[in-house]
This record gives sequence, C-alpha cells and structure tokens, in this order.
Amino acid sequence: MQFIMRMLEIADAAKPRLARGVRLQIDSTTGKSVLLFAEGILELNETAQEILTRCDGRTVSEIVLALAEEYDADPMALAADVRETLIDLQRRKLIELA
Amino acid sequence: MTVPRPYALLAELTYRCPLHCPYCSNPVVLKSATAVTAELTTDEWRRVIREAAALGVLQIGFSGGEPLARRDLADLVHAAREANLYTNLITSGIGLDDDRMRALRDAGLDSVQLSFQSDDTDLADEIAGARAHERKLNAAAKIRAAGIPLSLNFVIHRRNIDRLPQMIGLAEMLRAERVELANAQFYGWAFLNRAALLPTREQVVSAREIATTAKARLAGKIDIFYVLPDYYESRPKPCLNGWGQRYLTVNPVGDVLPCPTASSAIPDLHFENVRARALDWIWRESESFNRFRGTEWMPEPCQSCPQKEIDFGGCRCQAALFTGNAANTDPVCTLSPNRAGVDAVLGDLNSSSDHACDWTCRMNPMKLPVSQ
Repeated sequence: MQFIMRMLEIADAAKPRLARGVRLQIDSTTGKSVLLFAEGILELNETAQEILTRCDGRTVSEIVLALAEEYDADPMALAADVRETLIDLQRRKLIELA
Repeated sequence: MTVPRPYALLAELTYRCPLHCPYCSNPVVLKSATAVTAELTTDEWRRVIREAAALGVLQIGFSGGEPLARRDLADLVHAAREANLYTNLITSGIGLDDDRMRALRDAGLDSVQLSFQSDDTDLADEIAGARAHERKLNAAAKIRAAGIPLSLNFVIHRRNIDRLPQMIGLAEMLRAERVELANAQFYGWAFLNRAALLPTREQVVSAREIATTAKARLAGKIDIFYVLPDYYESRPKPCLNGWGQRYLTVNPVGDVLPCPTASSAIPDLHFENVRARALDWIWRESESFNRFRGTEWMPEPCQSCPQKEIDFGGCRCQAALFTGNAANTDPVCTLSPNRAGVDAVLGDLNSSSDHACDWTCRMNPMKLPVSQ
C-alpha cells in the first residue's frame, strides 16, 4: 500500500533533479557513475545512470521517451523501471521532484 | 591478498581547538615526536589530497581539532574540489564568520557537520568548557544561508542523554537535514573520562525509544541517526568496515592511520608519515595497514565465526584498550573470552546510584608549533 501511494507521488509532469548536496560523477577507479552525498557514496547501476544523466529539467515523461528512443524500447515497459528507480532515489533523499 | 581501494580520507588538519570536550577522540598524550613536529603545510596537504584522489578516494572530511583554526581551510577545500572529491567540513562552528563562510562556499564546500553539546546553553557550555553554544547557533544560521546541507552532530553521554527530545527539537528549529545522536565512543579523552560519561542501562533503553519514535515522526524531513554505546551491545560494531578496507586518516603532522584513534590506542604499531612515503605505498604496502587487513590475522573465536565477514572482529583499538592486544576479538562480543571486562564496567555503573561525575577537560597541545 505504502509503495502504491509513493508511486502516485511521481507524476509524469514532475521534473526530477539531484537533491541539494548530491553530486553525480564518474568514479575514475571503476569508470562507473556514482552519487556522492554527505553520508556516503552510491554506485549506480546502468539504469539509474541513464536516468540521472537525463535529469536536467526534463519531465518524467520526456525522460521515458528519450530512453525509449535511445534503446529502441517500448515506452510503457520502460516507464515502470524509470519510476521504480526514481522512487528509490527519492526515498533516499538523493533526488527532488520539482 | 588483493588490496582494496579507499573511498574516504579523514584529514585531521590540526589538534588545536577552542573547545575542551571531555569525550574528544584526539590523543590524550601526543607522542613526543608528534608534539614537537609542525603541522603539515598547505602544499603538503595539497599533495596528500592529490595522492588520495589518485588512490581512489571520493570523499574527504576536514576535521581536527577545529579545522577552522587553519587559515588555509578554504584553499584546501578548493584543492579537494579540483581533485573531484566530495568535501565535508566537521566543525564546532567557532570561528565561522561571514567572510570565511563565503570563502568556503566559493571554494565548493559540499556539506557541513556542526557539533552541538546540548540544546541547553548552560549545559552545552559546561560540556564544551567554553562559551560556545550561542556562537554555534549563529554558525548554523550562516551555513543555512549559504545553502549548504547541514548535519547536527551530538555526542551523547550520561550528562545529556536525557535531553534527547530537546536536542532533536533543536535540529528541527535549525532546519538541519540530518541529526546524528552518537553515544560517546570510548577512546582518547572519552576513555579517560568513561566513568563520568557512560550512560546507565535505563537511560540507554529510554533514549533508544525516543530516537526510534522521532525517526518515524520526522521521516522524509530529517534523517535521524542514533548510535548506541557499544558496551551495551552483544556483538561488536563492524569497525571501519574492516581495517584498511575503505578509510584512511591523515593526522595533523602527516601520520597515516587506518583509524583516527589507532595511534594512541595501539602503541606498538608503527605508522608511516606522508613526509617520508607516498600515500599509495602506505595504503598498499605498510605494516600498519596490512596487520589487520582481511581475516587471516584473526584469532578464535573470530576465525571460525560465521560473522567474521560481517563485523570483522570488531574494533582493534577497543581490543587493545581492554586486553593489551589489538589482535584479540573486540571484548564487546559476548563470545570474547574478555567480555567480563566490559561487563565489570557496566556492573559498576548500574549497580550503584552514586556515579562519578568529575571529568578531565581536553587540553590543547602546548608544544605544537603552528605552521600558519
């Protein structure tokens, strides 16, 4: 129930962005993307990395469409993954929804 | 053994501090060589920062003593940002005026952890041994105004643990993102003052409830991070996530430590200095970083324990302080043959209502020449 309610919080028109004090950068040791924040470091999987590099003022719908185009995938199928990742990052206070 | 890469560097810029907290983790007695050697210079710190980044470090914490006592703090923050590090300032806030706040923000400071002794001015100032509380409130306002994420760090002990609700209230009032309520860890000055600092079992139980309730109430608003005094635990903390695995500390004179309290708690270990050796060599090759790396060094009951990759045998410094041998199992573990030592400390405290309350305030190093 909690999960469904949280899902509803992310509207298609929401514009996700990194929370204050959070940085996205490449870890030069591994070549992978990481989020750096006051309490720690989060190594990103490929999905999270592809989403976060597009959190530049675009809406959730626009991010889904961009990824669908890039990977030649079904936007409806991608949307669930994108939302799940954004929900997880929001719960960790690493992104905000403008 | 494959040597992992480090993630975080704790840069202890100076042992100088305007406060005199009785639980300070700085060494009580500075080794004679340490006491007469000057602090690292700005250029030496810049080199340490570059070497740490090359080794894989992603985060740096500027600490001390009081790091604002170094006039070159903003320059070092800038150097760390140039090396792509995430920069944390761990401070009492004393000395943070508008000019320095602006310089730190312009240098790219990412986050501040501001220490508080209590929510109550008189008690806070008594613990700090200085008129500090009002100045900390001012510092918090400046950090907020600069738009930098703020964490309030309270060290919890017998004298302030009953004020947990009010301390959480202060964090709400100051609009902190995070509040750390960490019981004093008994090393350095805190080990010396343990009899006056260790909370009673009753206090610990009540505090845990208060922290859990507040955590739920403030979820999504303020992160509450509560740390129990480990003497009341039955399994040891996974200290440092293992020796020489993720963290390294460079102290004010350039000694490189696997853990900030190791130099005083483990006197038989020789620590290398950045003035004589490259950081990369110290991390990979030195005896001090390799002595307790991995699991091969472990004695029983750790060696055959299914928890050995989870808690790594606990804390080497605690083992050394209780048993005289840093290679022993952390005596907090109820499987340790030395657990009786911890139980004796708890028994003395909880069986009597007549508690020691005198403590020795931290003193500043007198002989340390200042390079700035």
